[in-house]
Amino acid sequence: MSREAYQVPTGSQAANPAAVGKSFDAYGGGAAEVGPQMQYLCGDCGLKFQMRRGDAIRCKECGCRILYKERTKRMVQFEAR
Amino acid sequence: MAPFVKPSEAELERRRTIQINDETVTNISSTDFPGHYPGEDNSWSFETFKNTFRVEHHYLTPAESSFSLIGADAAIANALRRILISEIPTLAIETVYVYNNTSVIQDEVLCHRLGLIPFTGSKKGIREFLRWRRKAEDGTPGPVYDYNTVQLRLQVECTRNPSAAPDEREPTKLYHHAHVYARDIEFVPAGRQADLFQAPEDIIRPVNPDILVAKLRPGQVIDLQMHMHKGVGADHAKFSPVATASYRLLPTITITRPILGRDADKFARCFPRGVIALERVSAAEANTPGSGYEGHEGEKKAVVADPMKDTVSRECLRHPEFEGKVKLGRRRDHFIFSIESTGQWDSDELLLEAIKTMKKKCERLEKQVINMVR
Ligand SMILES: [Zn+2]
Repeated sequence: MSREAYQVPTGSQAANPAAVGKSFDAYGGGAAEVGPQMQYLCGDCGLKFQMRRGDAIRCKECGCRILYKERTKRMVQFEAR
Repeated sequence: MAPFVKPSEAELERRRTIQINDETVTNISSTDFPGHYPGEDNSWSFETFKNTFRVEHHYLTPAESSFSLIGADAAIANALRRILISEIPTLAIETVYVYNNTSVIQDEVLCHRLGLIPFTGSKKGIREFLRWRRKAEDGTPGPVYDYNTVQLRLQVECTRNPSAAPDEREPTKLYHHAHVYARDIEFVPAGRQADLFQAPEDIIRPVNPDILVAKLRPGQVIDLQMHMHKGVGADHAKFSPVATASYRLLPTITITRPILGRDADKFARCFPRGVIALERVSAAEANTPGSGYEGHEGEKKAVVADPMKDTVSRECLRHPEFEGKVKLGRRRDHFIFSIESTGQWDSDELLLEAIKTMKKKCERLEKQVINMVR
């Protein structure tokens, strides 16, 4: 696979088709805009915001340089044992 | 053949008492089987069992019951106990599908905790409508239908409470859903379940709505679905219908020589409250030569009031003043049962269900024995 064909996985809602009922603020919005976009969480103030490739790795509110990715919305199955 | 010898009442009493000495426990094995005592008929007879076996109820609430089985062998009592713990089916969470969990509690731990929450609902629905989930031919879990699976959902998000006081420190007031409780779990009816499990009486719900499942902080989310199946305690403790089912043997306390005056007070303090009572020595007792009460009229004496309350701590055997005056023991054929239900069954139903299960097992064994001798 060439470098150009590689797509950055997006944290979009499509990964969770079985989710029913309410949708949560904590899930954040999807990547409706063009281009790969990721949801990030500020390590300091907890702000959720979207960043593109090339953007400065900084929180848009407080300027903190530690950012976290959100957990995947893929379903994980467990036995209650 | 010579006629059978009948043992004396005192001998029978000795045989059915386990002796509890200061450092040892003796006479622990039962000997009421044929051939142990020459010349005696100790063969098991249904007639004798019917005439001597008794059940006494001590107390009964839906959550807890206590009763005595008197005149049964330890094998029967223990079989009942084991059936209660591990062979009566209940419904419990078996599979968890986690869509999101950003709380501090790990997915595995959270799912394990969810599995242990006891649920209840329509008794008719759970016992008659719901069936086992059969395995497929290759051993994998079989298909899921409305008659073998109950679906649940837990969706919680923690948010800040804008109307909280500015100096508030209590997380439950500062945030919405800071604590996730068992009552936040929702029942999702499928197919015929909507008619069978109707709110508020018959809906599938946790027995104790206040069980704390997890703690959240603003922005954290738990979003999962659960499938419940029927199972037995032998497979996993979460399926056990009892929190505990246990028995103990009835304690016996025999005062062989009088314990009087200050000694009587001390003796009573060696036992839990209510086991030993204090009475006055009567004139008749004081006038009986050889009773040990001569010249003690009106003094306090210790009498056994309620040995069932005793914990058999053996404290009274540690003091030299009671040496040779008291004998402790346990009645071999008197089982004081205590059943504590987790809530899916009432505690009195559990005993009946255990007996039903034991009967079924005996019938199965009988068929095998008949096949064996054929
Ligand atoms: Zn920030």
